[in-house]
Amino acid sequence: MRGFRIGVAALAASLLCGQANADTIKFGGILPLTGPGALIGTAEMHGIQFAVDQANAKGGVHGNQITVQFEDNQAKPDQSVLSFNKLTDLEHVSVIFTGYSGPSLAMAPLATRKKVLLVNAGAQADALAKASPYLINTLPTIGDEISVLSKWLVEQGKKQGAIMFENDAAGMSGRDDYLRSFPDAGGKILAQEATQFGQTDFRPALLKLADAKPDVMLVAITAGLLQMAQQYHQLGLKFTVAGTTFFADPATIADPSSAGFVHTQLRIDAPPELAAQFKAKYGVDMEFFAKQYYNAAQIILTTLDKVLSENKPVTGENMHDTLLKIGKFQGLIPLEFKTNTASVPIDINEMRDGKDVTLKQIQ
Amino acid sequence: MDFLYSYIVLAEIYVLLGLSTNLLVGIAGIFSVSQAAVFGVGAYLVAHFLMAQDALPFIPSLAIAAACCVALNILVTLPSLRVSGDYFVVTSFGIQLLATAVFTNWTGGTGGANGLPGIPPPDIFGLQVESTQQYMMLCTIASALGCLCFYLVMRAPFGRLLRAIREDELAVAAAGKNVLRAKVSAAALAGAFAGIAGGLYATFLSFIDPSSFDLDASILLLTMVVVGGARTLAGCIIGPFLLLALPQILTLIEIPTTIAASARQLIYGVLLIVFMLFRPQGLAGERL
Amino acid sequence: MLALQLLATGLVTGCALGVVAISFALVYSTTKIFHVAHAGIYTLAGYLAWSLVVHNAPLIVAMAVSIVACTALGALIQSQLYARLERRRATHLVVLIASLGALAVIQNIIAGVYTPNILQFPLPWSGEVLPLGSVRLTYVQLLTIAVSFAAYAGTMWFAHHTILGKRIRAVASNPMLADITRLQPQSVYIYVIAIASALVCLPGILVPMDLGLQPYNGVTPLLTATIAMIAGGVGSITGAFVLSIAIAVLQNLSLLVMPGEWSIGVTFFIFVIFMLFRPTGLFAAAR
Repeated sequence: MRGFRIGVAALAASLLCGQANADTIKFGGILPLTGPGALIGTAEMHGIQFAVDQANAKGGVHGNQITVQFEDNQAKPDQSVLSFNKLTDLEHVSVIFTGYSGPSLAMAPLATRKKVLLVNAGAQADALAKASPYLINTLPTIGDEISVLSKWLVEQGKKQGAIMFENDAAGMSGRDDYLRSFPDAGGKILAQEATQFGQTDFRPALLKLADAKPDVMLVAITAGLLQMAQQYHQLGLKFTVAGTTFFADPATIADPSSAGFVHTQLRIDAPPELAAQFKAKYGVDMEFFAKQYYNAAQIILTTLDKVLSENKPVTGENMHDTLLKIGKFQGLIPLEFKTNTASVPIDINEMRDGKDVTLKQIQ
Repeated sequence: MDFLYSYIVLAEIYVLLGLSTNLLVGIAGIFSVSQAAVFGVGAYLVAHFLMAQDALPFIPSLAIAAACCVALNILVTLPSLRVSGDYFVVTSFGIQLLATAVFTNWTGGTGGANGLPGIPPPDIFGLQVESTQQYMMLCTIASALGCLCFYLVMRAPFGRLLRAIREDELAVAAAGKNVLRAKVSAAALAGAFAGIAGGLYATFLSFIDPSSFDLDASILLLTMVVVGGARTLAGCIIGPFLLLALPQILTLIEIPTTIAASARQLIYGVLLIVFMLFRPQGLAGERL
Repeated sequence: MLALQLLATGLVTGCALGVVAISFALVYSTTKIFHVAHAGIYTLAGYLAWSLVVHNAPLIVAMAVSIVACTALGALIQSQLYARLERRRATHLVVLIASLGALAVIQNIIAGVYTPNILQFPLPWSGEVLPLGSVRLTYVQLLTIAVSFAAYAGTMWFAHHTILGKRIRAVASNPMLADITRLQPQSVYIYVIAIASALVCLPGILVPMDLGLQPYNGVTPLLTATIAMIAGGVGSITGAFVLSIAIAVLQNLSLLVMPGEWSIGVTFFIFVIFMLFRPTGLFAAAR
C-alpha cells in the first residue's frame, strides 16, 4: 500500500513538472474526434491547430509557444465533464475550446465554478447564451438564424411547415425556435418528427412529415444530412427543404439530391491564400467549422497577447475579462461581443448544381 | 490532486455497482446486461428530487431512489425466474435498450438526450459536500458501508443459501429451500446498491445524460466483475479500480486521440476474451 | 399512400432482418451458444465489401471476398474460442461473456481502422428509384428483398435436402446422441457458424449500401432478429424469417399512430411482456 502511494505521488509530481515549462502556454480542446460528430470535430481541431501553428511560427505570443491539448468526447456530455476536470486539474488550462451543444451545456456550470474560459465556435442551442458567464459563443445561437429563415420562407409563400429535428440539445432548441418563429412570421406548423443523432434511416420520418402535406420541411439535424437528402430524393418528395448553417456539409452540397435545399448561413470567409495553405496542410478544404475555430483561436490569441502585455497572469478569469473588454475583434470577419454571444451577418443560401449559392444577404 | 481524488470517487461509485453486478451475475447467476439501466434510474431519481420545486435533502432522496431501484430490479429479474437462462439474456438486452429509449425520449422526465445539468451538490445534515476531497470522503464511507453489508450478507445463512443455489439449484429446491425468494432478495439488494451509486454519480458529475447508462456501460460493469473476480468482495473492489485506471494508463502511451476511445473499448473486449479463456475466476474471484 | 410506402420500406428492413435472424437461429439452435459476436461479423462484412468497392472492384467480387473472409472469421471464433471454452466445460455465462468480448474487439478494430464516421458505398445506381405504383423503392432495396428471399429458400432447401443440412438438424435436436452416433458435433458446429457467417454477409453488405456504414450499428438489428427468432419459435427457420418481416413492418406502421423515436422502445417492451407470458414462441418447432 505504501509503495502504491509513493508511486502515485511520483506520477502526479512528474505530470506537474511536465508542464512547468515557462515558455509554453497550454490551452485545451474538448471535441468529438470519434463517433458521428467526428467529421465536424476534426475540422474544428484543425482550425484551432492551424491558427496556433501560424502564431508559433511567428515566434509565439510574447515569446511563448502555444500548445493545445485535445481530448475526444465523442460529442458525449459525460465524457466532456471528465475531460474538463482532467484539463483543469492536471493541466491547469485557462481556456478550453468546445463544440456541440450538449457537451458545452454540461461543462458550463463547471466553467463558472472553476473560472475557466469556455470558447464555443460551433454549437448553437439557445440555452448556450445564458449557460455561464464563462462561456463565450463566437457565433449567434440558432434562434437568430431561424427567425431570419422563417421570415424569408413566409415571404416566399411557404406557409405550411413540418419540422424534422434531432433528439439532442441542438435539435430540440431548433425545434422550439421553429415552433415560435415560424408562426410569428405568419406561417403554421403542421407536424414534427424526431430523429436520433447518428441515425441514417430517415425514410419513416420523411414519410410521416410528408403525410402532413407541408410546403416546407424545417430541419434541425446535425448528422446524417447526406442520407436524409438522398432518401428525400428517392421518395420523390417535392416540398422545399430548409435549414440553418448545420446544412453547410460539403458532401451534401455536392450531391445532386440536395438541389433546391435552402438554408441560412452565418457569413464567414477565409482569404484564398489562407484556404490554400490549410488545404495543403490537411488535405481538405477549409470548411465552415474549420474557419469558425480558426477565427476563435485568433480571438483567444489576441486576448492572450493583451493579457501578457498588461503583465497579468494567464488565468481563466483574466482571459475572460480581457476578452470582453476588447469587445471588437477583426478575425476572418468583424465580430463584436456585446454579450457573451457575438453577432454576425447571416445569408440565405440555396444548393444548386453542387454549389452553395447566396440568394440574399441580411445584416 | 483533485484529479486523483476524482478517480478515487468514480472508482468507489463503481465499487458499489460492482457489488450490485456481482450479487446478480456472480452469486445469483442471473446474467444481466441491464445494471446500467438501474444505475441510471437511481441517478435520474435523485437528480429529480434534488432539483424539484420542494427539494428533498440528499439522504432521503437517496433512500427513495434506492427503494425504487430495489423494486425495479426485482421487476427486471422476474423474467429470469420464468424463462431459461439463454432467453433471459435477450430479455436483459431488451430491458437495457428499452431503458435507453426511455431515458433518451422521455424529455419531460429525464431531460431526454439533453440530460439534466446543474444538479446541486449533496447536503448531508447541513454540511455541504462541495470539493472533490469532501466528495471522496463521502464516497469512501458509502462504499465501505456497501462492502461491509456485502461481507455480512455473504457470511450469513442467506449468503450460504445463494452459494448453494449457484452450485446446484435443483438440489436446493429439493431440500425445501425457497429458491425464488433467495434470488429475488439478491436482486433487491443489488438494486439498492445500484440506486445509491446512481445518486452519488449524479451529484458528483452535476450532470447526467442517457449516454452514461447505456449498453456499453452495462458491458463495462460486466467486465469489472469478470476481471476483478466473480463472487468475492475483493473482486468487487479490484475490478473497478483497475478498469477505471486503464484510460489514464492509456493516456501515458502515445495513442492518437482519434483512436483512443475505440482503443479503450478494444482493450476491454480483449480482457473479456483473455480472462474467459485463461482465468474465468478473474484476479481475485471464484469460478464464474 | 403513406401506409403503403411504410409497408414497403418495412418489408425491405424485415427481409434483411430475416436473414440475420435465420443465420443467428442456425447457430443458436445447433450450438446453443448466444453468439453475439455475430453482430460483429455482420458489421465487418459491410466494411470489407466497401474497402474493395472503393478501390474499384466490381460489387460481385467485393461480396465474394467479404463472404469468404467472414466465413473464415466465424469458423475461427468457433474453433479457437467457443470450442476451447467447451473443452473446459465453461458455463453458458462464460461463453456469452467471451462472445461479448469478441464483439467488442471486432467493432472497435473496425472503428479504429475505418474511423467511426458514416461511410457511403460509392454506387450511384443503388440509389436509383423504381416507382411501383404509388410506392417508390430503390434498386438496392429491391435487391435486398430478392436476395433475402433467395437466402431463405436456399437455407430451407439446404436444411431439408442435403446431407450436411440433415446432419446439422440432427445435432441440433440431440447433441449427445449425435456425439454417440459419431455425427461429430464439434465439426458440425464449425460448419454451422461458417454457413451462418456467410449468410449474414448478405444483409451486412446490402443494408449499408442503402443506409451507410457505422461500426456500432450491428447490435440493435441482431437483438431485434433474436426477438424474431424467439417469437417465431427457436428451431423454426420460417418462423424467424416471417416474424422478422412482421416486426419490421409493425415498427414502420406504428409511425402512423406514434412518434418515430418510440418504435424501437415499444418493440422491446412488447418483447419483455411476451417473455413473461409466452416464452416458447408462436411457432415452436416440434422438439
